[in-house]
Amino acid sequence: MNGATEAELLLNCTDMSVLERQKAHLKYHHPGFDPTLAGFLSGPSTINGGEIDGFLGTAGLDLPVIYGETTVEGSCQFGSGNFKKRKFDCVECNEVKKMMMMMNREDEEEEKSKITEQNNESSKSITKMKNKAKKEQNNCSNDSSKVTKESQKTDYIHVRARRGQATDSHSIAERARREKISERMKYLQDLVPGCDKITGKAGMLDEIINYVQSLQRQVEFLSMKLAAVNPRLDLDIDDIIAKEVVSAPMTNLPLPTTVMPSYEMVNAGYPYEMVNSGYLHCNPMQQVATSSDQLSCFNNGEAPLMWDSDVQNLYSNLGV
Amino acid sequence: MQPTSSMKEEFLKKWQTGLQIFRPSIDNTNVTERKKAIKLSADVAMASLRKGTTCWSRALIQKTAAEDNFLVRQMLSGIKAETLINKKLPKKTVCHRKIVRRSKKILLRRSRSASEEAAAKAKKLVKRRTQGLRSVVPGGEFMSNDVLLIQETLDYIVSLQTQVNVMRSIVDAAEAGIER
Repeated sequence: MNGATEAELLLNCTDMSVLERQKAHLKYHHPGFDPTLAGFLSGPSTINGGEIDGFLGTAGLDLPVIYGETTVEGSCQFGSGNFKKRKFDCVECNEVKKMMMMMNREDEEEEKSKITEQNNESSKSITKMKNKAKKEQNNCSNDSSKVTKESQKTDYIHVRARRGQATDSHSIAERARREKISERMKYLQDLVPGCDKITGKAGMLDEIINYVQSLQRQVEFLSMKLAAVNPRLDLDIDDIIAKEVVSAPMTNLPLPTTVMPSYEMVNAGYPYEMVNSGYLHCNPMQQVATSSDQLSCFNNGEAPLMWDSDVQNLYSNLGV
Repeated sequence: MQPTSSMKEEFLKKWQTGLQIFRPSIDNTNVTERKKAIKLSADVAMASLRKGTTCWSRALIQKTAAEDNFLVRQMLSGIKAETLINKKLPKKTVCHRKIVRRSKKILLRRSRSASEEAAAKAKKLVKRRTQGLRSVVPGGEFMSNDVLLIQETLDYIVSLQTQVNVMRSIVDAAEAGIER
């Protein structure tokens, strides 16, 4: 029975399509098999294959074109674009910005389409500037010290265009300006006491303003004090200095290191005073004595001898 | 950037010459007169250290020259006093009031998100402080950009520190002399 049906089927299959024949065959061998499933299995596969073939065929033709457009052409554009862009910025911006551009090169490659557009717009000006830029670049490269400086700079310049940040010259200039301000603010932080604990620009500015005002008030106060201390204005600075030399070790004995600067200052200041002969209140010999052994002079009671009668008069006026 | 001893020394010399100039005119006067003289001479001495290279020193010299022209001229005899006193400061930036108001209105009309609001507030705070700094530093209103302002503030603080250090040491010395 089997053989007969098979023969019949095969006979029937002569004018059936290959597909239908296969289905029939499957149906014959596996009676429970769902013909639709078989159709699903066999039919689409061939169609798919055809499709894939066709796709591959078209793709095989198309892909080089696409790649040519995107990668080859693109990279050419990008390379030249980058190059141009950087040069453009060399001319326009300062070294810092150029540095940033160097650093941003990678980031720029992501945004190269933008830049190429920009370049297309400004290609004329760029070509004009190209020669200049080349010269500048040559200068830069010739300067080895500059290059080393730049390489050192890379450590702490954090201004760089991240993804999505603008790379046009305006925003880069703005970023460089902010960087400069923050750098100066750091110096100010070192200079102004108690400012290093404060974060935030507003707080720091507050502290700086307070400090400047306090310094100005101190100047007022000190000048007032000096005016009150000296009944006449002729208590000259040089004899005050001389006194300071004598008295400083007495008042600041526990901290000799803090006194040292004033010694230096005073000793360096003396030659000038001696040249300016009008206001000599102690002669060179005594000055040597004071500078060499101040404490002993003072302790031995020789100090009054050093000063002119002018100062002694002053003391008597003061009632000391 | 602490005040160096050479800076102090130079300041001292300048100040002394200033006081010498004052001496004949303000001997035996009251305390406030003397104080004013001391303050003026110290200021001019501090400003002349920079030889007119910085904006604040030029502004300070011009300000003191308005108070006591003779002294400033005498003290700056080494440098070209005339050029310093009459040197024009950079122009003040003047905004047209109407334009500013209109642009503010436009800004207000734009709806902002919370983060933008906070950023704007912070910016405003910083701007106010910067304005305050401008009023504190002499000639600050002439410094158009923030970078210049902060740079000048740095220099001004160093000079002020020099001035205060020298003056304090001298006051201490004078007091010590009186006590003795």
